[in-house]
Parts: sequence; C-alpha cells; structure tokens
Amino acid sequence: MFLHNLFYELKSSLRAKELIIWLMIFPIILGTFFKIAFGDLYDKQTKMDTIKTAVVGIENDPNFRTVIEQIEQEDEPLLKAEYLDEEKALEKLANGDVTGVIYAGDDMSLTVSDTGIEQSVLRVFIQQYSTKAGIIKETLASDPSKLGEVTKALMADASPNHAEPLTKGNTDFYIEYMYNLIAMVAMYGSITGLHIAVGNQANLSPLGARKCCSPTPKALSTLAGIIGSWLVQAVCMVICVSFTAFVLKTDYGKNLPYVYLAAILGGITGVSMGFFVGSIGRMKNSMKVAICMTGSMLCCFLSGLMMGNIKGWIAMKFPVFNNLNPAALVADSISSLNLYTGHERYFTKLMYMCGISAVFITLGLILTRRRKYADL
Amino acid sequence: MQIFKLFMKVLRKKIFTALIFVIVFVAISIPMAKNSTTEKAFKDTRLKITVFDDDNTPESRALTDMIYSKHKRVDIERDKEAMTEALYFEVTNYVLVINKGYSEKLAAGETDGLLTSYHIHEWFSVVLTDQLLDSYISSVNAYTAAGCDLSEAVEKAGEAVADETEVNYTSFNKQSDFGRSAGGYFSYLPYILISVVISALCPVLITLNKKEVRFRTNCSSIRPSSYTMQVFAGSAVFVSAVWLFIMVIGTVFIKGSIYSGTEWLAVLNSLIFMLVATAMAMLICSFTPTENVLNIITQVLSLGMSFTCGIFVPQSMLGAGVLSFARFLPAFWYVKANDMLCGKEAFDSSKLAGYLLIEFGFAVVMILITLLIHKLRYNSAKPAVRSRSSELRAQN
Repeated sequence: MFLHNLFYELKSSLRAKELIIWLMIFPIILGTFFKIAFGDLYDKQTKMDTIKTAVVGIENDPNFRTVIEQIEQEDEPLLKAEYLDEEKALEKLANGDVTGVIYAGDDMSLTVSDTGIEQSVLRVFIQQYSTKAGIIKETLASDPSKLGEVTKALMADASPNHAEPLTKGNTDFYIEYMYNLIAMVAMYGSITGLHIAVGNQANLSPLGARKCCSPTPKALSTLAGIIGSWLVQAVCMVICVSFTAFVLKTDYGKNLPYVYLAAILGGITGVSMGFFVGSIGRMKNSMKVAICMTGSMLCCFLSGLMMGNIKGWIAMKFPVFNNLNPAALVADSISSLNLYTGHERYFTKLMYMCGISAVFITLGLILTRRRKYADL
Repeated sequence: MQIFKLFMKVLRKKIFTALIFVIVFVAISIPMAKNSTTEKAFKDTRLKITVFDDDNTPESRALTDMIYSKHKRVDIERDKEAMTEALYFEVTNYVLVINKGYSEKLAAGETDGLLTSYHIHEWFSVVLTDQLLDSYISSVNAYTAAGCDLSEAVEKAGEAVADETEVNYTSFNKQSDFGRSAGGYFSYLPYILISVVISALCPVLITLNKKEVRFRTNCSSIRPSSYTMQVFAGSAVFVSAVWLFIMVIGTVFIKGSIYSGTEWLAVLNSLIFMLVATAMAMLICSFTPTENVLNIITQVLSLGMSFTCGIFVPQSMLGAGVLSFARFLPAFWYVKANDMLCGKEAFDSSKLAGYLLIEFGFAVVMILITLLIHKLRYNSAKPAVRSRSSELRAQN
C-alpha cells in the first residue's frame, strides 16, 4: 500500500503544471538572465582602464611631465595625458573625452565633471605627487644637504604592506546570485510540501476527503506523500544545479557532488517547511499558498537573492539568524565550498538543514495526527 | 456601459496583485532614491576599513587615526572565517593589521613586515589604499632621513598625507536639473510597469475574451465598436491610474515638490513606456494564454528586459552582444533616454526625441500586430459561424 501511494504521489506531482513552471522553467529563465547580466560584471568592475587625462600648465612643473612620462611607459599605464591649454582641456572634459583636468604648478588642482573611482585615482595620484614634492621643497628650505637621503627615502620601493590571501576560491561576488537561485528553488519546494497536507485534509481538496474515508492508515499515506515530494523536489534540485553547472558554466570546481548534496537537502528542508505550513489549522488552500510563497521569498531576500550582500550584514548583526534561515543555509553551504578549504562549515550548515527539516516534519506530523474528517 | 462595468468588476479581483507590485516598487525605490542624493561636489571614494593594532604604540595609533580619517571604520571579529565572510560580502573592504614591532622597525628605517592586509575583491579602491599606506610610510622615512625624530616624522607625514588636493567639480550637463535620486526612481519603472500591466490587465482581457463571454456579448445588442471602446476605456482608466499613482508618489516622496524642467521629459518617457506596456499586454492577450503561461510570460518579459536593457545593471556594464540584442527591446530606449536625463550621457534634445520616438514606434507596431491578429481571428471565425448557421438552416 505504501508503494502504491508513493507511485501515485510521484505521478500526480509530475503532472502538476505549477511544479514544472516554478521549479524547472522559472529557475532556468532567471539563471540565464543572471548569467547575461552578471557574467562579466565582476571582471569589468575590477579591471581598470588607462585614465585619459588633460594636463594644463605643464610648463610650470617640468618634473611632473617626467613623472607622467615614466608612468605612460609602463605595460598597463595608470593614465594617459594630453598637454593642452585650459579652454581645450575643459572642452574635452565636457565631451567626456578625458576624465579630469590636472592643473600643474605649485598649487596643483584637479577639475572633474563626475564622481567615481577614476576621479578618485587621479586625486590620489596628484596628492601623492604633491606630498613628495612638498617634502623635497621643505628639505631644500631647511637643510639642503639632506636632499639626497630624503629623495632616496621617497623614491625607495617601500613595500610595508604584505597582503595575505584568505581564500583560493572564486572571488566573483556575483556567483552568490547563482547559489541563491538554487536556494530559491529549494524554498519553492514548500509548495510541493504543501500539497501533502492539502491532499490529506478533507476540507481543502476532494482528494483529502477521499483519503479521509479510505481505510489506508493516515501515517502511511502521509509518509508516502512526504517521501514522494522529497524525491520530486530532489529531481528538480538536480536539474537546477546541472543547468547552472553545465549550461551556465558556473564554476563549482571539484565540489559539484557536494553542491548536489546541499541542494537536495535544501529541497528536503523546503518540502518539510511546506508540509508544516500546510498542516497548520483549517485555513484555505490559497492562504496557505500565500504564506508559503511569502515566507519563501522573505527567506530568499534575507539570503541575498535580491541584494547580494544582505547576508553578510545579517551575519555581522544577528549571526544566529543565518543558521535559522533555510535559504541562507543552502546558499551558505555552497558558498563555503567555494571560500574555505575545509568542509567543516559546509557540514555544519547541512546539519542545521537536517535539524530544521526534522523539526518541521515532526511539528507537521503532530498537527495532522488524529485529525479526522469530523475535526474539520 | 455594461462592458465597462464588467471590466471593472473583473479588474477588482486582480487589483490586489497590481497593488502588491506597486507597493513593493514604492517601498524599494523610495529609500534607494533618498540614499542617492544629487551630486553637487566631488566626493572621494571611501572604503570600509578594519584596523587591528597589534603594536599599540603612539606611532601605530597615529596610522590608525590617519586611515580612519580617510575611510569608514568597521569593527569585525578577528577570526579568519569571520574576516573572510565580512570581506566577501563587503561588510568591510579591507582589513589591516599593524604588526607587533611596527614603531621599532619604523624607527630603524625598515619597511618590510610593518603591516599585513587582507582583502578579497580586487576593486581599484583597494589598490588606492595600498598606495596611501606606501605614501605614508615613505613620507615618514623621508622626514626621518631629513633629521626629524620618529614622533615628529609621524606627525608631519600624517599632515602631508591629510593635506587634500583641491578638486573642482564642474557639471557640464546644464540642461539637466534632473537629480540622480529622481533618475534612480524612474530607472526601475519599466520593470514595475510591465509586471503590473501584464499581471493585472491581461487576466481581465482574457476573461472578456473567453469563448462563453465573448459569444454572449457578440449576440447581445451591444455594437462591436461600442464594445471595443468600452474595453479600451477600462484599460485606459486602469493604466492611467497606475501611472498617475506612481508619478504622484514620485512627486511627494522623491522630489518634495512638483516636477520641473527636464523632469517633465522623464515623466513623458514613462508615459510612453506605459503605452508600450499596455500594447504589450494587449498583444499577449490576443493569444489568450492560460494563467500559468501568462505568469511565465510576465516573468520572462519583465525580468528579461530588466536584466538585458540596463534596468537592474547599468548599460555601461553589459556586454556588447547583450546590448546589440537589447536594441530590439523598448526598455533599452527607455533606459537610454533616462540615462541622458539624469546626466549619465550629455544632453542632446534631438537624440532624446529619437529615443522617445523609437519607444513610441514599438507601441504602435505592437498595436498594429494586435489589430492584425484580431482581424485574422475574426475573419477565420466568420466562415465557421456561417457554416454552422447554414447547417442549422438546412436541418430546419
């Protein structure tokens, strides 16, 4: 009887159009758009092109020209300068042909028409030149005999700062959106889970009414429903991960099997959540669907589906919350595979997922226990 | 007005969906627009920095103060995992550790091993911070070489680095008094207009076009032209109400006063896009999709245009291939016009008129296709009706 129920649970799940649309087609569409929009975004944001600059009054400071020429000879020069009079320089700035206009001389200044990283780079460049020039002038005025030592100290290739890498993984921050997409599909599993409770509740569906009258033990049909939904959700999760890995070419490194495991467990958590919501009270089906959808989207929002770095902010302010949010757990577990070398954090997140699923299923079973037709 | 009343009756059932979209849009857009104020002066890029001072000497504290004067201080837990998480999710952009023995090494003129830094994203602002530190340390060494004692050298280097270069900010976009805040509000509008119009208007039009309802209406005494006009009036009332509501919210919460100058052009741009969205909804309805198919069409169109046309990600960040494809979508031209109005592109009235006309052209083309589809369907239905009538006559 259990296998019979399980078979029909699987059969009816596969015929549900909503399931195919929201658990298979929609993630594929959204993932494709993520790839189109975020595919090269990180590279573009971290790559700096040579900044086109106009310099006015270079005759006032020949040393500045020497410094610029040295920079221009580098393989990837920071800036490319044009030496112009003020009128032409400002015209080029207005047309967007140059990022800024540097006024060379004793009081160096910069004119820009926008605020951004390129403008900040120019300001820091002038700042550093002015600082060094100021120190040399000061030394010339106070003790010219020390000029050689001072110039040597200024020009020395000082490297006081040693940068230590924290991760060997992919640092492309936008890959988080793919992890959150997987988390979203897992959370949509709550709709699948909801159908178990709805299908068992006589006041919500004709199927529930028939099941209530049938001689099959309730525990058996509920268990078949839960396992059937878990299996269907697992298939959806496998399709989603495979699509991101093989079609969208998301780089999971050697961790792909672990990603599948996290996604399937996430799906199980989503189904369990839906089963619990479906088991609460005697609300209408539409109300339960609304609770599931809103709850899922809220979890996904707080996990970073709409705003990538919200999860980091929550981790700093309310660290416990990310271990209670099922969507954050799914995304975090996959993210930890990318960021950290060991799997300790990954398995901790998986344990939390198992714990949450167990709590939802237990509560759901308690709520549906001995609920007969007459109780509704 | 029977049809108009029916239209409104069906619409009332879908108004909740439309309201959710509009409220979510307003709730997200207003704080975002409020945060991005109009630029009137040059603002340096400020990083979020965390400093751990292991040396804890006057010299190391002077360095900490100098860094925090130029960047935003963020305190995080000193644990490798916490640091990785904070850096990856950009809670902080840069973690600097002032190593033990910093002041002693500095006094001895040594530069190696003074500082240790951690960062994950290779933003250029991170490189700037490295340069700032290099500049500060070399200035301290230069002052020491010039004969200053360490505390004096540290003080002078701090002053030298803190001495800000004069930066003049000139806005050449004189035509545009359209603030970035209002620009931000208008930039997300296409997503919401497409979502609201398709998800609320389409079910109403589909209901009216259902075979049973349509046949009953056709055999009633209402003239077809009156039917069309009433459906058109109902649609116009709904889309105008949505558009007006969004515009009024923008005036009250973003602007604080009535729109002025080029802002009216942005209002016009949004009005034209509203026509585009309505035409799109009518075109979709002519294929009478089911609710599930309609949901997926709404998502594909709204998210698709938002991601490929520069609504969610700026056009400057999108690849050439994506932009070439996006040119065939109306939202691309809406974004082009909006970018020009909020000063991202030099203002050119003839170019702007071109963008608006292209947008309008999309609406016209979609309406023409819709009419054509209706015409074809009507014509193909006619012989069927005739043959059925002739069958009935023959039977009689």
